[in-house]
Amino acid sequence: MTAALEIRVRNSLDEIARLAEQVDAFCETHGIGPGIAYNLNLAFDELITNTISYGYDDQAEHEIVVRIAASDKAVEAEIVDDARAFDPLSREDPDVDADLDDREIGGLGIFFVKQFMDEVAYRREGDYNVVALRKGLAAND
Amino acid sequence: MDISDTQVNGIQVLDVAGRIDSGTAKSLEDKVVGFLDGGTKALVIDLSKVEFVSSAGLRVFLLAAKRLKAVGGKYGLAGLQPSVREVFEVSGFSKIFSLFADRAEALDRLG
Repeated sequence: MTAALEIRVRNSLDEIARLAEQVDAFCETHGIGPGIAYNLNLAFDELITNTISYGYDDQAEHEIVVRIAASDKAVEAEIVDDARAFDPLSREDPDVDADLDDREIGGLGIFFVKQFMDEVAYRREGDYNVVALRKGLAAND
Repeated sequence: MDISDTQVNGIQVLDVAGRIDSGTAKSLEDKVVGFLDGGTKALVIDLSKVEFVSSAGLRVFLLAAKRLKAVGGKYGLAGLQPSVREVFEVSGFSKIFSLFADRAEALDRLG
């Protein structure tokens, strides 16, 4: 099986839900379990939210392209945006053992992406950031 | 995302349904902060009908935890679905929050 999906979203946080609906539908159609769908939507939410919130130097509308390709072995995805160059992998991991008083939310989103995906890679292509994700489809989900 | 609120034996319960993502977390934050500003000192958030939480949602739960701790309040999250629980575990939040199997257990233990 190979299947692909491309979704274009605007740089607005309310697009996250629309994206998730399409990702869920794609996964369901192609027999990809809800656990994997959750992982993908979590990665998309965290990465795209960062881009929308911090990536643009103007107030203009921008487009972010999400491409997903699924085979029997893995789901691969790419997120392409024209925001300022930013390598999400450059962020330091949060201290997940800190107690309540010392816990901060910063960095947690990217940490989730690294934890819930099998591979995360960043590259700058001309004026575009490209984050590539891979999640293996194991028997457990 | 939908939020309804009820008060049970002095404990404020927020019943959330749907997705707590970066697009919806702000409305949950507004609701939670509204109760905290209004003097709520015991809060249970029922997540049994929540199928998705991202770090935007965790930020709201953390904010509530810090504010309630500062006033010596009570706080619990109830009914986490397995995928949501996994997010709490990976982030270490399961160690700093009181998580309950369901709303009844939360009300019983915090009451």
